[in-house]
Amino acid sequence: MIKKQSVGIWFNIIVAVLTIVSVIVYSVNISGEGYFQNASVANLVAYCVIAVVMLAAVIALAQPKVTGTAAIVTEIISGLLRIAVPVLLTLCLVNLISARAEGLGFIYFSNADVLQEVQTPANMSSATGTIANMICLGAAAVFAMIAAFFTLRKKEA
Amino acid sequence: MRAKKLAPVMRGLSAITASVMALSIVGADIADGYRARIDDFLGTQSYVTNTDEDSARFVSDYATFEEMKAAAKDIAVREGEEGTVIMKNDNNVLPLSGKSVALFGLAAYAPYPYASGDLKAGNEDAVDLVQAFQDAGIEINQTVMDFYENGILNEHTEEVPNQWTGEIEIQTAYDNIYVTSPGDMTTYQINEIPPSEYENFGAPADWESQIDKDNTVGICVFARGAGESNTYAPGSAVNYAGEETGEDPLALSEDELAVIDAAKETCSQVVVLINSGNTMMLSDIAAGGEHEVDGIAYIGCLNDYQATGVVNVLTGQINATGALPDTYVADNASIPAVQNFGGGYYADYEVVNSDGDDSRYPGTTIENVEAGSFGGTSPTYNGGTYIVEAEGIYVGYKYYETRYYDSIANPDSGAASSAGATQSDAWNYNEEVIYDFGHGLSYLDYEQSLKSIDVDRTEDGNITAVVEITNNSDQDGRFLAQLYVQQPYTDYDKENNVEKSAVMFLNSAKVDVAAGATEEVTITIPTKYLASYDYTNAKTYILDEGDYYFTAAAGSHEAVNNILAAQGYTTADGMDAEASGDVQTWNLAEFDNTTFAISNDTEVTNVADDADLNYWTEDDTVTYLSRQDWEGTWPVNYNEVEINISDSPKSEEWIAELRGETYTIQDGDAATEGTDNGLRFDTTNIQYEQLEDIADPFWTELVGQITIDEAVGAVIHGGSQTDTLTNVDNPVVVQNEGVSGFTATYTDEETGETYRFNVHSQTLLGSSFNPELAYDWGRVEGNSGLWLQRYHLWGVGLTQRRTPYNGRNYEYISEDPMLTNRMGYGVLQGCADMGILNGPKHMGFNDQEHNRAGISVYLNEQKFRETDLRCFQGGLEDADGMAVMIAFNRIGATNASHYAPMLQTILRGEWGYTGLISTDMMNNNYYFNPESMIMAGITQVADFATNDNHINMGDGGTDATWAYISEDAVANDASLVDQARENLKYQLYTFANSAVMNVSTERVQTWWDTAISTVTYVSGALAVITLAAWIVLTVKPAKKKED
Repeated sequence: MIKKQSVGIWFNIIVAVLTIVSVIVYSVNISGEGYFQNASVANLVAYCVIAVVMLAAVIALAQPKVTGTAAIVTEIISGLLRIAVPVLLTLCLVNLISARAEGLGFIYFSNADVLQEVQTPANMSSATGTIANMICLGAAAVFAMIAAFFTLRKKEA
Repeated sequence: MRAKKLAPVMRGLSAITASVMALSIVGADIADGYRARIDDFLGTQSYVTNTDEDSARFVSDYATFEEMKAAAKDIAVREGEEGTVIMKNDNNVLPLSGKSVALFGLAAYAPYPYASGDLKAGNEDAVDLVQAFQDAGIEINQTVMDFYENGILNEHTEEVPNQWTGEIEIQTAYDNIYVTSPGDMTTYQINEIPPSEYENFGAPADWESQIDKDNTVGICVFARGAGESNTYAPGSAVNYAGEETGEDPLALSEDELAVIDAAKETCSQVVVLINSGNTMMLSDIAAGGEHEVDGIAYIGCLNDYQATGVVNVLTGQINATGALPDTYVADNASIPAVQNFGGGYYADYEVVNSDGDDSRYPGTTIENVEAGSFGGTSPTYNGGTYIVEAEGIYVGYKYYETRYYDSIANPDSGAASSAGATQSDAWNYNEEVIYDFGHGLSYLDYEQSLKSIDVDRTEDGNITAVVEITNNSDQDGRFLAQLYVQQPYTDYDKENNVEKSAVMFLNSAKVDVAAGATEEVTITIPTKYLASYDYTNAKTYILDEGDYYFTAAAGSHEAVNNILAAQGYTTADGMDAEASGDVQTWNLAEFDNTTFAISNDTEVTNVADDADLNYWTEDDTVTYLSRQDWEGTWPVNYNEVEINISDSPKSEEWIAELRGETYTIQDGDAATEGTDNGLRFDTTNIQYEQLEDIADPFWTELVGQITIDEAVGAVIHGGSQTDTLTNVDNPVVVQNEGVSGFTATYTDEETGETYRFNVHSQTLLGSSFNPELAYDWGRVEGNSGLWLQRYHLWGVGLTQRRTPYNGRNYEYISEDPMLTNRMGYGVLQGCADMGILNGPKHMGFNDQEHNRAGISVYLNEQKFRETDLRCFQGGLEDADGMAVMIAFNRIGATNASHYAPMLQTILRGEWGYTGLISTDMMNNNYYFNPESMIMAGITQVADFATNDNHINMGDGGTDATWAYISEDAVANDASLVDQARENLKYQLYTFANSAVMNVSTERVQTWWDTAISTVTYVSGALAVITLAAWIVLTVKPAKKKED
């Protein structure tokens, strides 16, 4: 069953995995010690969860073999979801960058006389976590855009 | 086949372009937030500055001098019209239409104030009462007028030295006139000439027969003086003959009553006009009094044109809509606050003395005695005296109406006991109160009814009340609607000493109603004012569960009777009148101690525990008046209780505060010296973002340039004018005085005509009960600043009238915090809308002038927050007030200008206030301590000097005023210097947002704005096209296949 999946499905699975990883990194980042502790970002988790649910729907819709009008409807729904997912993930990324820009600037670009106070191990770890979070979300968004170019069914021989 | 291949491509492109569109839309918002930095980085400019006159941010509403002058006059006349209060009107004595008058009393011909200055503009076209009557076509008895004007008063001019500058001024003077300055707790001569002396002053022997008695109304006008540093002393009256009578100076004297009796003998009816800023004792002439008259009206203090408005009311040209801003009582001794008034010394006040051990003043002997209102000549901390404001929230009607309510609804409270009773053995409202707060008779019959109430219980929510006014008369007219509320008084309150007034004024409004018609008027007020401060348990604002009774009423007494009736009480239960019971209730199901526990992101909790004398004695020394037990808690005079500072477990801390050592200069981290980074106070650097946000980094960077010397020096020498700072290049801003408006003279360039715009009357504004009029005056006052090109004014008094004896009550609005709050809101917002800084005086319990410069005022935190501070809250938190002057006295043992809990926590924190904070006159360097003032947040110490924004104005680099202050002395206290810069940041930010920088900025589209917009539109269009193409390509081949 797994081996039978198309490249498009695999891309969508990668996007889902990256999105889930993003949420985990985000959760660790805001719950751990450091500058971004408790600094939640509005709607980020909600958007990610919606994106994962959409991706699951996309993968599910690709499994049954349907024909005729049902196939067209399935294809349209699946396609709209695959357009919406990168939009949601892009919004997450922009929100995250917006929320973190001041903090990262403070940690990395403060005046030399306060850098020692600012760049504590906890703050640096927190900043690294946030950057990892951005990379994951950015990658998820890019993979989601790429995934939209692929069909989900394997060519029949 | 081709379509099948293209469809996924279109879908993919649609996903990319839709994502880019989302990115650009959200990104544009984010970029807007970082606009200044992006501009810096890219070298673009998002704002252009318009410096031409037409582009000024603040432009006068008036195109010509004539229009400006007419607007000022119009406001003054309206104050007379809306502020005149008809207190008594029997036998249809008013309005006066068709009758002649005979004017009696010195003030009839020279109403207070008569001398031009702060209180009176003194323009050439000023109108006094005589002229106003004549202008209205009222015939004045010539015989009486002749002997008063020519024989008794004999107006002339005198050369008088100015109180402040010493310059000789020409002032109006009279041979015989009432005393205009009551002095400082001394005797007060009521200089009214009794009728027995008339002939000695030129009255013909038959003057009485020269009055057509049947067709003449006698108008008797009596004044009381007032003034800065003046305080009436109870029982200090001296009669015309110069004898001490032991009577109260605020009661009508025997000589004045004799004038009234003469008027009654010679005229068919008599009206008494009260020309005073101090509430008087009028039982002699009120209903049932030995000298009862037909009519009484309050006319406040008259400036240049108010007399026209007063006479318009007296003659019925306009309906009477004024209401009393204070309670008029039979005997001021019945007032709880009067039990602790004036103050006295601690038993061991001398323990505070320094015999040279004060490290700031080594070798100097410093005493701890009163220094007088204008400072002393020998060194003194002036911390020897105190008062205890043990009445708590029960000031004015809040005491009388609550005790009345409890006498009916809570008889076990001791409301009818003898405590506080002055007229008989048992306390009785109708014996003690002559006219209630909010009382004012209308000529036209009307009804007011509260139709609906809506309470938005959120931090920034409002109470919205709709009041229906029905004009039952056959004339069109203007009417006053007053909104009151009763909060629940619960077991929780009793357990935790939370006091509640049985009725609380909230706000008022006026409306024009045609004859026989009904109009609705909407009254709003922030919901936060419904909350009470619980300083013992919740330690924040609370709303008790239960019913809140709202009512519209013509005064506090009618309001409380409406509530009693709604609760099922009747005259059988002791009510003194049947009432409509017309109330609207709002029920709160659960106790709420959270909604108002956060304000402006600041936790609201106790900050003023040390204002309570019990904090220092660590004993229950003070018992605050409580409605739980009126008799047992009736205030004693705490100046008759022996208070020994040295007995306190905290005596060391207490003595330090009384010596002004609230903060001590630290020898720690070195302060950063200011260096020129090229930033300036100008329109190049200060753009839209900087004007909008004091947190913009520009402000910190700007004040970071100020040198240590100037940062500290500019704050501690900030009075009279703010000077230019070396690395900032801010403009000099001159401070102006005038509770009645700018006292400066305007000269019209074209005609050379001169004019003074300080034509306002604070007393009549208070009795107008019209917040819209307050706004209109504020706007005219602001306009006059633009015409005078003066932008900073100490131009309104908002201190609570705690007792009738404060000689400065004429500058203030009312005994009630909310009436003062709403009037302050109007005046300050009106000025702010014209870009003028109008600083109200004197926040923080400066409620007596006697020993104002040092007396300790002790109180609990409920009183602290719900009385005097609430008077200022409307203008400084709710409106855009830009300046405030702090009280002269101490709060607890701490100089009010050192009191960070009030200035930093409440004013800056809870209220989010970003304006200037000035001290009052710095007249005693042993009382005002520079480092403590800086740390409390004072932006400028009022030292009344100019061009002195440095520390080192004295010998050898030390400060000329405080010799222990030098650049070296503060250079190792980084916190102090940083705080001084922070204080100056507020000052500069405020100037930038005022007419001081009267230019406008305009947003323009940068290339990167255009780029983002283009990306948004193009990606959006492409997203739609590719989406459509994908759908078509997906559907079409499938259909073909089916075909």
